Amino acid sequence: MMAAEKPELSRGELLKKLRAEHAQTVERTQELLKDQKRIQRDICSFIRETPKSVPEIAKEIGLPANQVLWYIASFRKYGIVVEDGMCEDYPLYRKAEEN
Amino acid sequence: MSEKPKIAVYTCYCGGNISHTVKCEQVAKLLAEQPDVVVSRTNMSLCSDAGQSQIEEDIRELGVNRVVIGACAPSLHEQTFRKTVIRAGLNPYLYHHIGLREQDSWVHTCDADGATCKAVRLMAAGVAKARLLDPLEPIQLEAEKRALVIGGGVAGLRAALDIADQGLKVVLVEKTPFLGGRMAQLDTVFPTGEEAHILLADLIDKVVNHDKITIFTQTEVTKVSGYVGNYGIQLTQHSRGVSAENAKALQDACQQMVADEFNYGLTERKVIYQPYHGCYPPLPAVDWEHYNGEPININGKSEILKDEIQQFELSAGAVVVATGFDPYVPREGEYGYSELPQVVTLPQLIRHMALNPGAKSLEWQGHKVRDIVLIHCVGSREIEGIDEPQEDGQVNNYCSRVCCTATLHMIEELRENFPKLNIYDLYQDIRTYGRGHEDYYINALDNGTRFVRYHGEEKPKVFAAPKGDTHPVLVHVTDALTYNQELEIPVDLVVLATGMQPRQIDDLVKMLKVSRGNDRFLLEVHPKLRPVETAVNGVILAGTAQGPMNIQESISAASAAAAKVISLLGSGQVELQPFVAAVDPEKCNGTGACVEACEYEDAIALETFVEDGKEVTRAVVTPANCTGCGACVAVCPNRAIDVQGWTLAQYEAMVDAIAMDIVDLVEAG
Amino acid sequence: MNNVKVDALVIGGGIAGMQAALDLGDQGYQVALVEKEPSIGGKMITLSKVFPTLDCCSCITTPKMSAVAHHPNIQMFTYCEVESVDQQENGFDVSVLQKPRYVNADTCTGCRLCEYACPITVPSSFDRGLGSYRTARVPFSTAVPQIAVLDIENCILCGKCEKVCPVGAIDFTQQPETFSIDTTSIVLATGFELTDLDAKNEYGAGELPNVIDPLMMERFLAPTGPYGRVLRPGDGMEPMTIAYVQCAGSRDETLGIEYCSRTCCMYAIKQSMLISGALPLAEVTIYYMDIRTFGKGYEQFYQNAKAMGVEFVRGKVAKITEDENHNPVVRVERTEEGDVVERTFDLVVLSLGMVAGDPLSKFGLTPAEDGYIKIPSVNASPCETRRPGIFVTGTAGGPMDIVDSIVTASAAASAASAYIRSKTQVGIEEREVAHV
Repeated sequence: MMAAEKPELSRGELLKKLRAEHAQTVERTQELLKDQKRIQRDICSFIRETPKSVPEIAKEIGLPANQVLWYIASFRKYGIVVEDGMCEDYPLYRKAEEN
Repeated sequence: MSEKPKIAVYTCYCGGNISHTVKCEQVAKLLAEQPDVVVSRTNMSLCSDAGQSQIEEDIRELGVNRVVIGACAPSLHEQTFRKTVIRAGLNPYLYHHIGLREQDSWVHTCDADGATCKAVRLMAAGVAKARLLDPLEPIQLEAEKRALVIGGGVAGLRAALDIADQGLKVVLVEKTPFLGGRMAQLDTVFPTGEEAHILLADLIDKVVNHDKITIFTQTEVTKVSGYVGNYGIQLTQHSRGVSAENAKALQDACQQMVADEFNYGLTERKVIYQPYHGCYPPLPAVDWEHYNGEPININGKSEILKDEIQQFELSAGAVVVATGFDPYVPREGEYGYSELPQVVTLPQLIRHMALNPGAKSLEWQGHKVRDIVLIHCVGSREIEGIDEPQEDGQVNNYCSRVCCTATLHMIEELRENFPKLNIYDLYQDIRTYGRGHEDYYINALDNGTRFVRYHGEEKPKVFAAPKGDTHPVLVHVTDALTYNQELEIPVDLVVLATGMQPRQIDDLVKMLKVSRGNDRFLLEVHPKLRPVETAVNGVILAGTAQGPMNIQESISAASAAAAKVISLLGSGQVELQPFVAAVDPEKCNGTGACVEACEYEDAIALETFVEDGKEVTRAVVTPANCTGCGACVAVCPNRAIDVQGWTLAQYEAMVDAIAMDIVDLVEAG
Repeated sequence: MNNVKVDALVIGGGIAGMQAALDLGDQGYQVALVEKEPSIGGKMITLSKVFPTLDCCSCITTPKMSAVAHHPNIQMFTYCEVESVDQQENGFDVSVLQKPRYVNADTCTGCRLCEYACPITVPSSFDRGLGSYRTARVPFSTAVPQIAVLDIENCILCGKCEKVCPVGAIDFTQQPETFSIDTTSIVLATGFELTDLDAKNEYGAGELPNVIDPLMMERFLAPTGPYGRVLRPGDGMEPMTIAYVQCAGSRDETLGIEYCSRTCCMYAIKQSMLISGALPLAEVTIYYMDIRTFGKGYEQFYQNAKAMGVEFVRGKVAKITEDENHNPVVRVERTEEGDVVERTFDLVVLSLGMVAGDPLSKFGLTPAEDGYIKIPSVNASPCETRRPGIFVTGTAGGPMDIVDSIVTASAAASAASAYIRSKTQVGIEEREVAHV
């Protein structure tokens, strides 16, 4: 963490050092990414045709409803799903049209 | 105008405030079709840095030379966007602002189509005006680097000191003969328990010995003219009536006694008086309002005292209003006040305690007090339709902020001094919000104070007890803490925790042209954007003139006021808006109609010039004194005068645009 | 990095710090503003609308952020932390750590292409964990500066961001750097934190998905919120019955927080009004012991909420549990009725209190009993700390609302400027005062 080390190292060496230091982080995050991809695939395939509510999605893919909502919020933000109607007190979500 | 207008139009969502009602995208689309519009955009929050950068980019990249923005009221962010436009190198007056929020979305929440239609019309009018805008320069004026501070209480003293510490001159005027204000009447202050006198003496000492501060006591502001940077102030000062040489002899010889307002009428004093030991200035003064004019005999000579009123003028760049508050005085009969001798206000009890230090027991009018009740919210949190209105027909529906802690602070003192006293506290909500304030409440709960919660709709009632009762007074109250049990509390003393009221300063308010809020306290521009500034440029608020505050808060507000004064006057220059009348010399033939119509001193006058050997008479505007009201424009038979930035031609273009046929457009979109 | 020399160093870029910096800058002093997050704006920029005017919060905050960024007398240092403060003869030598953004701040344009390319989604602290952003991101849409930051702790070093960046601003070789700021005075505007949502076992210890903190509700009510509407986080339902539990983190001996947090009554009332706007059929109940609407215009605000149909129930909430559908069940002792009732709600907001933000030890200051900076003479110099030259403003000096924070910020600026003048003898005559 000391700035003094900096001038000595080349870009390649710095990157190597970063990889070494963050090996564990990278491994953990890669696991996370795998999970995220799977969940995204599951959710998206379930709501591709018909809009569904969060509890419906949770039941279908076997994830707690609060976690499903977090994914839905994220997908909404990045344009992967859109809100499409309401069923009683629950908004429904559907996969966004691909551009 | 030389260059062809290239107009950029922005319709702001205002974070939903506008877009929840107005269909902003549709507005933007329709505006894009208006002549000379080169770009029309929407933005979630145009005042954000990203929004402002977009405007800058459009000016730089697209060569935009006119900007029209539909957003919140101009009072909020017109200045913000002027600075944006300047940063991009455009004259700030080539930008026009439309208040889509206050004038449209907030007032038509139930009519989205109508509001959208109106937005299009307003924005189109803005575009029509923008096409005719000319670059203008603000009026630069030298500013007097001197501030006038009105009021010698803690807020005024603090503001004066902070301004002077930055090297500006200060004139501090105080209406009464002595400095210190309401704080001087306190004994100890919460939450530290320090003595008010010591704190105050320290502050006064610094102010008095500051070489940049001039103090005038017994002085009132009697005339105000001018504008920010150059206010002309007339002060009227009463004479002290005594000198250092004869003060003691006169005071000793003086026989006339009056109620002492310093002790809220609990005691009497002479008409030549000093409110308390150690006050400043240390010289007694004559109470001219009450002096009966009778001669006073000293050294065998009888002397009639004369008030020699002096008037003088000074100029000041800014005015700080620190005129303070008055404690609420209950109406006759309100909780038995002024009908029963055993009913007093909290300020009176504070003075009573201060006048009787070290007393073994609490005595009131010669009787020992065994049971005491304190009632909160007297003159505060009043409810329309339930409480009797004040003289002006309004009820004091605000919370006075300080009385809860002041009451519990008093209870702590009572408990410490008189451990056997039975104390009842009748309240609605205990509002000990400040740092260290809650401790007074916790202590009172622990030390045996009996709390009774009443509802604002059902106030406690105070009666004289029947003859022969153990106590002189009975208090009836319904206690919400014990499931609305009806209580009858026999007591020896009733203390009313009276709130704060705005001072009677109607003349000053009129002279300074500042406004009051619904609560009748002086009104700031915006509680977050400009919390100590009034709508009158250069008139700044400090302390309880603005609303209830405790000492700590008053000091903060006063320091904040000082910071604004320094920002305003520090450079020695002020800028005024260029929206003032301008005369077209080609058309003016000196009818003088404008001069007659003008209501402002020295704003417009007829002058005679010699041109080509001929004498011509024309109207000449003094921009600094012109308010841009337009009265002159309306009366000129030759249309020779216009208000810059708001010309007749611009108005006509706006009206045409507003009246255009757009209904179909909106419905189609 | 070069060393910086200023008249005043403001620590904390929330509303109080920004206002203090602006006031000092407007008075012509050179100011450095240090903020630990990647953007200034503090807690306030996350809010929806603000009491008592109900202005949208962005409309008040973002222009101040922008003004700070563009002020000729203010230098802004974001994503920086103060490491140490050394007393010098005429001021302080402050050592500051610039945390690596892994993005070149000089070239980044804030275009967000890196964010769209980044494959990792993480909970957004801006949305209190209920929304999300990517590992590479601009922290929020109105962030100042508009510069991306890469969260190396959640990064797989895939380099996708690097590939899409049109200006080559991604820089994985960035290292933490230390620089020093030489300043005459310091203004502490380090702010507050909410009391913990999980502090009370009686209130579910943070385990109940539909019991939330008030800043979460602010995000739901904000136009840029995580759901784009008000939903309960447990399962995405639109709540129709909502309860507020007042004093859930204040005036509570068991938490060691006996003081009043001063803002909770007003924010609960404000949120109730905003909920009524967003969900016209929703019913809001506020459980309280004392309603403390003491500020200018606040009592009328409270009366308006009552008139709008917000239900105020005086009572102490003893316990919160949940039913099988994660609906919170509130057990309350109602003092006026003298009974104990249980009522099921769709959503419960705990009106949590405020505790002091950053630790004070590096500034050589010790906290008072309540954890906030000790102010030796509140009734004479409400912004002065025990150390001459170090001033305090906003919630670093105790709980307060935005209106009061702004006034104390200007007051702190005034106190600091008097101190600077006394130390440097530089007066108004010699200084260049910015035209604003």
